[in-house]
Amino acid sequence: MPEQTSVGIELADVTKRYPGSREPAVDGFTMTINPGETTIFVGPSGCGKTTTMRMINRLIEPTSGRIVIGGDDALSLDADDLRRRIGYAIQQAGLFPHLTVAQNVGVVPGLLKWPKKRIEARVEEMLSLVGLEPEEFLRRYPRQLSGGQQQRVGVARALAADPPVLLMDEPFGAVDPITRGNLQDELLRLQAELHKTIVFVTHDFDEAVKLGDRIAVLGDRSRILQYDTPEAILANPADDTVAGFVGAGASLKQLTLLRVRDIVLGSAITASVEEAPSSVRQRMATEGRKFALVLDNRRRPLRWVHDRQLGGASLAGIGRPVGDVVSTQSTLQDALEAILTEGGDAVVTGPRGEYAGTVQLDTVVAKIRELREEHQS
Amino acid sequence: MIKVSLWEFVTDRWPRLAAEAYQHASVVIQCTLIATLVGVLAGVAVYRSPIGSTIATALASTILTIPSFALLGLLIPLVGLGVAPTVTALVLYALLPIVRNTIVGLGGVDSAVTDAARGIGMNRMRVLTLVELRLAWPAILAGMRVATQMLMGIAAIAAYAKGPGLGTEIFSGLNRAGAANAVNQALAGTLGIVLMALLIDGLYLLVARLTTSRGIRA
Amino acid sequence: MTVTDAVVSMESGTRRAEVVRLFLQPIAALVLVGAVLVWAFSQDLDAIEVVTLNAATLLKSTGEHVLITAAVTVLVVVVAIPLGIVLTRRWARWIAPVFLGVATIGQAAPAIGVIVLYFLWTEQEGLWAAAVPLAFVSLLPVLRNTIVGIQQIDPALVDAGRGIGMSSFTVLRRVELPLAIPLILAGLRTSLVLAVGTATLALFVNGGGLGFVIDSGYKVARPTVLLTGAALAVGLALLIDWLGALAERYLGPKGLR
Repeated sequence: MPEQTSVGIELADVTKRYPGSREPAVDGFTMTINPGETTIFVGPSGCGKTTTMRMINRLIEPTSGRIVIGGDDALSLDADDLRRRIGYAIQQAGLFPHLTVAQNVGVVPGLLKWPKKRIEARVEEMLSLVGLEPEEFLRRYPRQLSGGQQQRVGVARALAADPPVLLMDEPFGAVDPITRGNLQDELLRLQAELHKTIVFVTHDFDEAVKLGDRIAVLGDRSRILQYDTPEAILANPADDTVAGFVGAGASLKQLTLLRVRDIVLGSAITASVEEAPSSVRQRMATEGRKFALVLDNRRRPLRWVHDRQLGGASLAGIGRPVGDVVSTQSTLQDALEAILTEGGDAVVTGPRGEYAGTVQLDTVVAKIRELREEHQS
Repeated sequence: MIKVSLWEFVTDRWPRLAAEAYQHASVVIQCTLIATLVGVLAGVAVYRSPIGSTIATALASTILTIPSFALLGLLIPLVGLGVAPTVTALVLYALLPIVRNTIVGLGGVDSAVTDAARGIGMNRMRVLTLVELRLAWPAILAGMRVATQMLMGIAAIAAYAKGPGLGTEIFSGLNRAGAANAVNQALAGTLGIVLMALLIDGLYLLVARLTTSRGIRA
Repeated sequence: MTVTDAVVSMESGTRRAEVVRLFLQPIAALVLVGAVLVWAFSQDLDAIEVVTLNAATLLKSTGEHVLITAAVTVLVVVVAIPLGIVLTRRWARWIAPVFLGVATIGQAAPAIGVIVLYFLWTEQEGLWAAAVPLAFVSLLPVLRNTIVGIQQIDPALVDAGRGIGMSSFTVLRRVELPLAIPLILAGLRTSLVLAVGTATLALFVNGGGLGFVIDSGYKVARPTVLLTGAALAVGLALLIDWLGALAERYLGPKGLR
């Protein structure tokens, strides 16, 4: 396994059978995990997703089957050597309480017999990478950290030896929802930078949708119910079990995957504050619209005015101020939220806050329909 | 030298051995009870005061550190030989586990429970006897159990100061080393104590089960 | 360990009482020993008393006592810790209750009985004739605490260790043992106190020690000798327990304190 480059993982007919139980815990699991992507195993507890993941670094030895990591047969390597080249992060971080943060992060480089100076430098680099100030945290013990900080150290430890593959077993399962959200954002940022091949186990489908490039929905005995991109699974669950797991609100979850820039923006009748009300009214009449958007002289949206309000001499001070605006980076969920709170089209602004267009309810609905049809075929 | 099996030895001397076993168990149990009375009273007296608890447990644990043979040595000039030094020594040793567990047990009672008890109109005494001591009872009983276990072994040494019990057989076996039955005597004394210790420990488990409210049983 | 466990331990039960003992116990020991020695040697000692109450005999007895205690401790450590480690390995777990049972009976057995039986059976005398049976009697605290100390470690930590590529021996050395050390030290302290206490019984198998001074005083009916021997034994026990407490406090891994 060369360092720095992304490697894929092949699992071929991997089976785990525990002595004394008739049913195998994992039955003939076959999957190709793409290099540099985040692949999520998601499924109900007890479905064997963790067992499957733990066979990749052989914390559990498969009964039969083949596992190839970056072209090397994982089952013929020394298990300890193998694990030193695969990052491993678990729930509640699993930090060693008797070691300092620096010692925890430096464990694997130490096992790999890196020189001391290099380990020290690497530890500092890793802590900065996960957003912890090295000076402040190096000498602390795990119990002196918050849950979120422990989890960050756990990720830093997993990444310390720069493994091309990272296994994560519900790493954010034990922290509060706000911290979990932050840690997820952080992981997305890290992954955009590092392009590791990540296998991530969770039972939280929303987490899977947020983090995954690909999601494997697993059923009993780790049977693959569906293995696809989050968009495809949301748009078209393979069967009722997956649909049940995706849950109600699948379409709403889909909106979190789409950005305003992905749809065709609508346009409103716009008017500058200086324009005469009568001319605005005339344009509205020709287009058959009831509302116009008043912009300031830097084209930033100010107010919506109804044609009945246009009897006066000036546009200044009339109409309803624009509340929620969305940017082209916003998700369609944000846009829908804005549509609902505004009670009409959502205003889209550009990078400097200038008016860029509108999102209409019909467009959002049409986009969802389009996606569903696309994945149906 | 006529070799006699342990079994023959025991059946042969059964009345004497039984009497010694009875004395042994009796002095240990009585001393545990005295120590429980003293220890629980001491625990109740000090558990609300951090300084009092500290002094009581520090003192009791220091006493436990004293070698039993040395304590007997200290007591013989003061109280003479026989039952008196035995009882004094045994009670002193039994104090630590009981005092410690009383204090920890009473301190562990949830203050919400005592508040509720006061709230429904119990006075201080009733809260203590009906609520706190009842909840601390498993801990106190565990302290008594540890105390009894220790005393069973220590009481054997008391025979040195002419105290009662199976220790007599052990010392007699030692003094008659080489004679027929010397080993049998020491063996009977030692095994007798082990058996009684295990038996009494079983009784404690039974008592714990019968006297602990089912609501707080582990 | 909770208070409802039926386990002999030297802990005071509160941290504060431990701190008080940490300061006062060595002082108490020195004051007691000093006062009794000054008192004894300021008496008009008769010829019989002088046989035992002289610096050479007292030093020799104290030295023997320390030596027996050390021998017992070494035996306990050398046997109980490796045994405890082996009994927590997955392949040996089923047999752990057997050893714990034997050690529990060992603790229930009266020390004097075990010493006497060992003497009668082996017909050996001296230091090791005392140390071997006493080690059997003092074994349980360290053995049990080693086992419990390793068993109570969060399995996720062992899993994490294996998961990041530690061999099972490295996990034992760098994760399991360091995390079990606080409990092992607590057990060692209890074993130390049992050892120093029962070492007074070594005299019965001609192993010497301070029990010899006490016994001499008893036999010749001289309270001065009796009290001196007892005071020295008490002082030594307090000091040794204090050393155990120090070890417990300062030798454990820093992150756990």
